[in-house]
Order: sequence, then C-alpha cells, then structure tokens
Amino acid sequence: MLFQIAWRNIWRNKSRSIVVISSIIIGIWAGIFILSFSWGLYKNNINESVYKQLSHIQIHHPAFKDENDSKYTISNTDTIMMQFQTDERIASVSSRVIAFGMITSPTIASGVKIIGINPNSEITQIGLNKNVREGSYFESGKYNEILIGEKLIKKLKVKLKSKVVLTFTNINSEIVSGAFRVGGIYKSKNSSLDETNVYVQQNHLKKLLELKPSETNEIALLLKDEAQLETVKSYSRNIVSIGKIEDWKELSPELGMIIESFNLYTYIISGIILLALTFGIINTMLMSVLDRFKELGMLMAIGLNKRKIFIMIMLETIYLTIIGCPIGLFAGWLTVTVLGRTGINMSMFSEGLASYGFSSVIYPALDQEKYTIIVIMCLITAIISAIYPAYKALQLNPSEAIRKI
Amino acid sequence: MAKTIIDAHNVSKTFNPKTIPVYAVQNVHVHIEEGEFIALVGPSGSGKSTLLNMIGGLDEPTKGTVFIDGVEITKLSENKLIDFRLHNIGFVFQSFNLIPVLTAKENIGFVLQLQHLSKKEREKRVLTLLEEVGLEDKVNSKPGELSGGQQQRVAVARALASKPKIILADEPTANLDSKSATNLLDIMTKLNKEEKITFLFSTHDQRVIKKARRVITLVDGKITSDVEQIPT
Repeated sequence: MLFQIAWRNIWRNKSRSIVVISSIIIGIWAGIFILSFSWGLYKNNINESVYKQLSHIQIHHPAFKDENDSKYTISNTDTIMMQFQTDERIASVSSRVIAFGMITSPTIASGVKIIGINPNSEITQIGLNKNVREGSYFESGKYNEILIGEKLIKKLKVKLKSKVVLTFTNINSEIVSGAFRVGGIYKSKNSSLDETNVYVQQNHLKKLLELKPSETNEIALLLKDEAQLETVKSYSRNIVSIGKIEDWKELSPELGMIIESFNLYTYIISGIILLALTFGIINTMLMSVLDRFKELGMLMAIGLNKRKIFIMIMLETIYLTIIGCPIGLFAGWLTVTVLGRTGINMSMFSEGLASYGFSSVIYPALDQEKYTIIVIMCLITAIISAIYPAYKALQLNPSEAIRKI
Repeated sequence: MAKTIIDAHNVSKTFNPKTIPVYAVQNVHVHIEEGEFIALVGPSGSGKSTLLNMIGGLDEPTKGTVFIDGVEITKLSENKLIDFRLHNIGFVFQSFNLIPVLTAKENIGFVLQLQHLSKKEREKRVLTLLEEVGLEDKVNSKPGELSGGQQQRVAVARALASKPKIILADEPTANLDSKSATNLLDIMTKLNKEEKITFLFSTHDQRVIKKARRVITLVDGKITSDVEQIPT
C-alpha cells in the first residue's frame, strides 16, 4: 500500500513532479553530454597523436632522446625493418633520421626538428601526404625538397619553391648546412608541431649527417590493434636489443596528464550538476512534505509509524528518479549517438584547439561504464536528496498537526 | 458493572512551560466506561481537543496518567503507542480525515492493511463497513469526489475498521450541513448501541450534545460539570 500511496502522491501535484523529473532528465543528459564531449575531445586527441604523429611504438637509441643528438642511432635498420614488416600484428613501419637545427629564410631563422623520411612509408604511417595543402608530397624526385608546416611558412615569410637553408651538427659535431627548396606546405591538426617539424628525404639527410645507410634514429610502429601493444613491445625488445622501446603514453606523458585533468574536470562538472540537482529535489520534496503536514499527522494518528512515513517519502523521490533516469539516459544516449556521427563543429575555436593538438570537429563518445557511473551517481543523488525531506517528516509531532485539523 | 475503558487521572497539559506557559488542561480526572456516548463541550480554547489528544495518545500529558482499557498509554514508547492506537482507538477529525489519493475503499482498507489482514478479509470488512455507513455505492470514489458528509462517513467507517474499543471524534460535524450531521450522528448512535463502541467527541453542535448520554463541560482546562442526560 505504501508503494501505491507514494506513487499516487507524486501525481497529486503534477507540475511539481514534472519539474523534478525534468531536472533529473536535464541533469543526467548534461552529465552524459559533458562526459561524452570531453571523452570525444581527448579520444580525438589520442587518435590524432597516435595515428598522425607518434605511432603506437617508437624505438630509439637509449641516449638519443636525452641528448637530442643524431649520432645516437639504431644499426642494421634494414634487417630490423624487414622483421617488423613481416609481423602480422603491425600495420606499418617507418624509419626516421632526426636532426635538430635551424631553418633560415632570407629574412628570418627559426629552430626546427628536421625529420628525414622515406616518403612512401610515411603515407601509411602518419598519412603525411594528406596534410599537404600546397605543392606536392615529394613528387618532384629532387633530393633537396623540403615539406614545411603552414605556420612556419608564414613565420619564415617564404612560399612554395622558395629556398631555405637548414643548419645542424653532424655526427662528428661539425656544423653543416644544406640548401632546400620548399616542395610542399602541410597543415596538421597540431599547429605547434607544424611550426617546428620539417620533413626532408632521408637519404639526403643521412649524407649531410654522415650516417651509414643502415643507421637511423627512430623506428615507428603502427599496430593493427592497440590491444597488442604490450606483446609487440616485448617482441620488439628481442629484435632491437639495445633500443629504448616506448609506447605512445610514454612518448607523450602530457597526453596522459591531459586525459587525467579532463577526467577530473568532467567529474567536477558532473558533481556540480548533481549537487544542483540535489538541492532542487530537496527543495521540491521538502515543499511536498510541508504541504502535507496535516495529512502526515493524520496518517500517524491512524497508525502509520514513522519508519513507514520515512519509507513513503523516500519512495516518492525514488519514483521520480526512476521515471527521470531512463528518459535522461535515453536523451543522453541519443545525443551522443547522433553527435557522435555528425560531430560538433568547433571551428570558431579551431586555432585555440589546434594549439593543444585538438581537432576542431569533436565527436562525442561514451563507453558503457560511464553510463553506469552516471546512473549510480544519479540514484545516489536521489537517495541523498530524499533523506532530508523524509527526516523532516519524521520530526513531525502528530499532535501538533492534529491540533491544526 | 461496566468495564472502565478510559481512565485519565489528574491529567494536565501546559504548552510553552519555559516561556509563556499556557495551561490547556489542568488536573482533569475522567473516568469513562465501555459503551458510553459522551460529548465533551466547552468554549473554544477550553482544552477539549487537547484532552481528546491526550486520551488518544497523540499528545503527552505534562502531568498525570492515562489508562485505556487498563493499559497506561502515557508510559508507552512512540512506536508502541502508534501500534496501540492502530488496534484500539479510532479517530474522526473535523477535516483532513482521508488520504486524498486513495478511494473510499482503499482509505478504509489502509488501516486493515496496517493490521496485516489478508486481501480477502479486507475486501469483506471494507464492504460491510461501507454498507454500515450507507456508502456502498461510493466504493471507488476518491475523497475529492465525495461531499463533506460522505467523507466524514468514510472516516467513521475507517475509524471502525480496526474494531477499536474507542472512537475519538474532534468536532466531527463542524463542517457538515444539517442533514449530513444528523445522518452521521445516527450512524454513530447506531454503532454505539449495536457494537458497544465507546464514543467520545468534542463538539459545539447542539444536535450532537442532545444525542449524548453524558456531557462533560470544560472551561479554561478544568471540568466544570459532568452530567448524564437522556438523549433526544
């Protein structure tokens, strides 16, 4: 009977109940949206970093990253590459030669990371060819062609076909320079890297650095399935015994920090929304209890004990939540599904987002676990919100209520 | 000799004892036997409702003891008192008598459900009670669909549902028209005679007072007269 009374009680004041249900729906929807938006944002960022910059695994000479010196190389690259290329778990392999130096235009100079690539392997590795906005992707066949980011082009005040000079130290610590001609201008989703990374033909860079043909500074592996990350890492240790093998999380610890801070941020926001929801429910349910002061007194007089009064008020709030929760979940799921396909165009903030490596189109996404967390958080909110009004009902002295009847 | 059903001994009730004390009931002795039909009369603020609440265990006396059917209710814990009320005392109030979201049948059945009666037993008893108060055609009507008089009759039926020894009614006819009031009184009188239920009701209504066999008058929280009469 208590279940029946509680159910009917919530429909006594329909507008009040609808307000509570609506706030629960909006609360859950907002929680789902914020979480899915954030997850979409950094999932995009992870994908962008892994598939367009880092790859899943990189192998370097143990001293290379600390010293940033091209003399720290991996030997027998050709043999190693062959072994990786025949592995079915690996989608693509690239070797790179890297030097740190200066790029000079007739008007300005800037610090750059010079990456010597095999153009063909980078097509499958990071899809570099797709980022070319002007000119071509090493199609001229000239050894001194250079691919420069759009941002750096503007900084250097040069254009396609312009001549630039790269200056760096070779493996013998001698300063060398090479003249290059801008063959292509690229633009990736990460504008900071566009300003620092320039790409040249690997063989030409090797000559300038005086490296042996079988030496490289970096081997990058792109996996077919990220779940294989640890096993491929272990396998790589057998192939490159003296190499330092790192996955994308180790290569880009700031990415992990971004993810962590976003997690924290989303939980804070969700917490604030749920807190507001809590006060909304408390306020409404408290009004509902105070409105029925005399009626609750009468119920106590005819034999309904305080425990049952408490349960009745709790049930009313739980019913409201049970109605609002699935609707909010459905609305959230629908929003995530639709926007997950169409994406949210944030192009007005594209510059700012790009500087942090984020894409300007966000595809919200949320896994099953997060939905469960939201439902649990919402139910806890409802129960906590119900306690105070139910407790207030327990404070009721039936004689005081009856005296007013 | 009839059995004592209510024995209020030296009962007092003071509101706001620490600030501005209001002596609602002062040193009252009431002795009521089973099957009596008593009107508690007096001007507004004389302490009628307070005395009724203390006898019903809704209010705790500041001083004195109340025995109902030999049980000292002033010593019972809150939960035991609620349970005692459920099984021994029926209440009829002036208004806010019924649960608005339940039908007449459900309102009466609610008390029986609290007593853990089976559905079949409940149905049977509820229909009997509704017949007794002449509302067999209003079984599924909610309080909002009933007149004031009909609501009070449902309230009487609910008060009777648990087969109480006593029914306490606080100005039960105050909000009723003449016809409804007479009808309600007839039902109460009939139940008193046929089922030996003790009725104690506070009232200003002369029609109710005339039907009572005993009239207790309270003035300023004290009993000023306690007389038996022949009902008319």
